[in-house]
Amino acid sequence: MPDHWSFVAAAYGLTAAVLLIYWRRLATKEREVEASKRLNAERSREPSITGHPRSEPASRTPLQQNQRPGAPLP
Amino acid sequence: MSYARRALAVAWKDLAVERRSKETLNALVFFSLLLLFVFQFTLGGDRERLAAVLPGVLWLGFVLSALLALGRTFLVEREHDCWEGLLLAPGDKSAIYLGKLAGNLALMLVVEALVLGLFVVFFDIDLGRALPGLLVVVLLGTLGLAAVGTLFAAMTANVRARELLFPVLLLPVQIPVLLATVKATEALLLGEPLGAVGHWVKLLLAADVVYVVVSLLTFDVVLEA
Amino acid sequence: MVKTLGWLTAAALAAGLVMAFGVAPREVTQGNVQRIMYVHVPLILASYVAFVVLAVASLVYLVRRDPAADGVAHASGEVGVMFVGLGIATGSIWGKPTWGTWWTWDARLTSVAILFVMYLGYLLLRGTIDDPERAARYCAVLGIVAALDIPLVHFSVYWWRTLHQPPSLMKPGGFTGSSSILWPLLVNLLAFILLYVYFVARRARLLRAQAEAIA
Repeated sequence: MPDHWSFVAAAYGLTAAVLLIYWRRLATKEREVEASKRLNAERSREPSITGHPRSEPASRTPLQQNQRPGAPLP
Repeated sequence: MSYARRALAVAWKDLAVERRSKETLNALVFFSLLLLFVFQFTLGGDRERLAAVLPGVLWLGFVLSALLALGRTFLVEREHDCWEGLLLAPGDKSAIYLGKLAGNLALMLVVEALVLGLFVVFFDIDLGRALPGLLVVVLLGTLGLAAVGTLFAAMTANVRARELLFPVLLLPVQIPVLLATVKATEALLLGEPLGAVGHWVKLLLAADVVYVVVSLLTFDVVLEA
Repeated sequence: MVKTLGWLTAAALAAGLVMAFGVAPREVTQGNVQRIMYVHVPLILASYVAFVVLAVASLVYLVRRDPAADGVAHASGEVGVMFVGLGIATGSIWGKPTWGTWWTWDARLTSVAILFVMYLGYLLLRGTIDDPERAARYCAVLGIVAALDIPLVHFSVYWWRTLHQPPSLMKPGGFTGSSSILWPLLVNLLAFILLYVYFVARRARLLRAQAEAIA
């Protein structure tokens, strides 16, 4: 009986390929989840900003600088 | 209310709704008539070849109409906004399962009797002595189909792509029942007594017991909100 | 822990390869193509282990409602389906030169194929439910129904086939317990069961991490 080495190679090759792909996929997904977790953790550490930040005097326009509180608008 | 009365109430409600609206039954009768056409066109008029494949074709008709009928078991409740009512029913939920199973079984047996009648007329089967044995096989096989079908219908009612998923889940699990019924029907139509297919009948009995018991035990889990 | 298991698995798989190609003799009647058996048989047997674990984990989940049990069931389903699919493919590749056909509706082939589609349905059900708690419940029920269905499938398919033709066809020639073939088979079996455990451990860990990331 002939040996049919090509069939043997096909069977082992197919198995190895599928198992390797599954293994690689697991690793990729693990990395993705790790990355998203780190991102979430960083986001939650940053101070949350509520409302509008007050502008610094230097960044105010001339019109705003001349204006005193309570004074009538020009 | 006692357990049995609650189960009966569900079955009674389903049958009453069906008797008044006839929406499932009408469609199923029409569908089985269409199946007859399809079988005739695909298999051709050759009587001998037809006789050889008839048991399989007969059960194909039963299964296809069962897939349509069973898949709707709990969709009806959603369409009529009765789902919450069912969930809120007091006591053991498995009573609901038993009621639904009884209703489904009655509906399917009516359709199957009709399909069988159509087959006798159009494909010229001589039932004769085979009828009592055939009744046993059809009853046991239908119970198996309906038992798992009712459970899976409850599972797939709340799922995306439920029309696709229901047959995809049900058919592989039902292969033992299909093999047993088709083989037993084949032998019975060849004129063998019921005793000659005793192993298939036993398999069907075992399958029915397993399916019904498992469904009763797990139905509570499926209906949890 | 998982890493150690991974290295152990790699070593076992390497040993299995050495046994399959170095130690095992060339089979007398079939020739070298019989070496496919050293990957085919362990794949199928390991998939059976996976499906038994799946059923037990499903039962444990229903009793304890522990997400870890559901994770094991989910992972076992995935790995089991992959293994049984590969088992069918390698068996088919072996069958072509040996029997002259890729596929026959023999009893054992048929029941393994039914198993494959049954658990493929299980994975499909998992994929279509978004709520993890509901997915766990439904899949546990399906896992138990499927496990109880296995004996019924086995008997029905066996009777269906053997009433027509003897099962002798399936018997791979010279596969009757000679130790020169048995040892390579056992080493490979151990390797693939280790591989299954490794994959499940890793997949279950990943599932847990994914659940945490979403929460």
